[in-house]
Amino acid sequence: MKRGKIWAVGGGKGGTGKSFITSSMGTALALKGSKTILIDADLGGANLHTFFGLNRPRYSLSDFFDKKVPLQEIILQSGIPNLGLITGSIGSLDSEGINHAQKQKLFRHIRTLDADHILIDLGAGTHNNTLDTFLLADNMIVVTVPEITALENMYHFIKSAYFRKMKFIFKTYNLNATIQDLWKNRASHNISSLKDLITHLKESSDHIRNIFDSEMSGFAVHIIVNQVRTPRDILVGLNLKSVCMNFMGLPVIYSGYSRQDDAVQKNINSKEPFMIFNRLSPVVKEVKTMTENILTGTNISVRKDLDDGCLSKIL
Amino acid sequence: MDVYLKYYDLLEQPPEATLEEISKNYSDLKTLYSGDSIEITALNSDFSQELQQDYLSRLDDAYEKLKLLLENKKPVLVKKTVIMDDSLSEWINSIKCFTGVALKSIRERMGVDLKDIFAATRIQPQYLEDIENEQFRSFRAEVYLRSYIVEYTRFLSLDTQKVLADYLPRYRKFHGHNADT
Repeated sequence: MKRGKIWAVGGGKGGTGKSFITSSMGTALALKGSKTILIDADLGGANLHTFFGLNRPRYSLSDFFDKKVPLQEIILQSGIPNLGLITGSIGSLDSEGINHAQKQKLFRHIRTLDADHILIDLGAGTHNNTLDTFLLADNMIVVTVPEITALENMYHFIKSAYFRKMKFIFKTYNLNATIQDLWKNRASHNISSLKDLITHLKESSDHIRNIFDSEMSGFAVHIIVNQVRTPRDILVGLNLKSVCMNFMGLPVIYSGYSRQDDAVQKNINSKEPFMIFNRLSPVVKEVKTMTENILTGTNISVRKDLDDGCLSKIL
Repeated sequence: MDVYLKYYDLLEQPPEATLEEISKNYSDLKTLYSGDSIEITALNSDFSQELQQDYLSRLDDAYEKLKLLLENKKPVLVKKTVIMDDSLSEWINSIKCFTGVALKSIRERMGVDLKDIFAATRIQPQYLEDIENEQFRSFRAEVYLRSYIVEYTRFLSLDTQKVLADYLPRYRKFHGHNADT
């Protein structure tokens, strides 16, 4: 059986438009003819179903966790051909209560879903369950907005994901004590950041350097800047690429942006799938562009001479 | 060359980038990392003053090195606008005969490089030099030399007919003389 590509959409801060981007990219993939399934893994605040006008979904992940219904059987029809939907547990007050065994079972089931693409919408924050789901993905995507608090949380999210993956990898090589000791005594080694830690570890032995080269070099996060209002906001993605490489030592891909458009909110409130009902908005094209870029792993091409002018001139 | 690749990396440009592209990126990066943009401020402890200073000095160094490399390798191939001021045109008018030496000194006073003329006319600098040095042997037929002089004088905004009238007889005399011996 073919294994679908897993996409995870996170980013740290709430309210940046993760669910909107996930539902729209999923729709774009389905409209292209790919069999796509969306999973709402925002266990504390599931609302991906609302983007498709479903307000009381028949099944949710609660059925999977509590009633042991297989994941494949709780897929709902989104109303769009080729697009299935697995909703989160609505109103569950114990969002962090998923234990390790349940999490492993969920991951196992996700991997065997019959689809070309599986898009997972993550909740806010850097809870371990969120990070682990993020690291499960073939395409790790963060959605941010051009605001300082969102960027702070996004940097923290990317670093946390990298650190968690690094700990996993080192554990499989029986080196987890090394990394923990080093971090505990970081002051005496003059380590003040994740970048310093990585540099220090790489220089400590050829063995460890090889581990980084073979296991960690594929770690690349796709960045999407949502709700851009000015041409300068579009450049934020380019700058983040430079900043992440220079000051965190982590490569990122700037996949795309989408602009602030009141029509989007209107569609959501009237429970109309945006990509179907609002073909005229420039956001539709922007979502299609970012989806293509993630499929091919390429950066969006942005003219660097964007002036602080009017966004409506850029189409 | 490895060290230069590092400089290109720092300036976030591929090795085939032009000096213009590198300069643009240099000033963009400098603005980004000197200022208090949201992208930088949000880094908090990952961006200390020491890290900033270290980065900016490496950036400056890389830019200087690449600038030197590229300026020596490829002169800027753009047509310079020849500035003809009164004293210059007076001096040119006083020239009695437009010999190769005269043409060379006019060009130099205008601050025009042979490569500038080449860029605009596609006449090989070697031929331009031969015109100025009156290396008549390089021109087997008058028609070639004539067309080169037309381009050359147009570029320098000189009186083409007058230059041809002064220069070509010297060429003919040389070849006539050679034919005699």
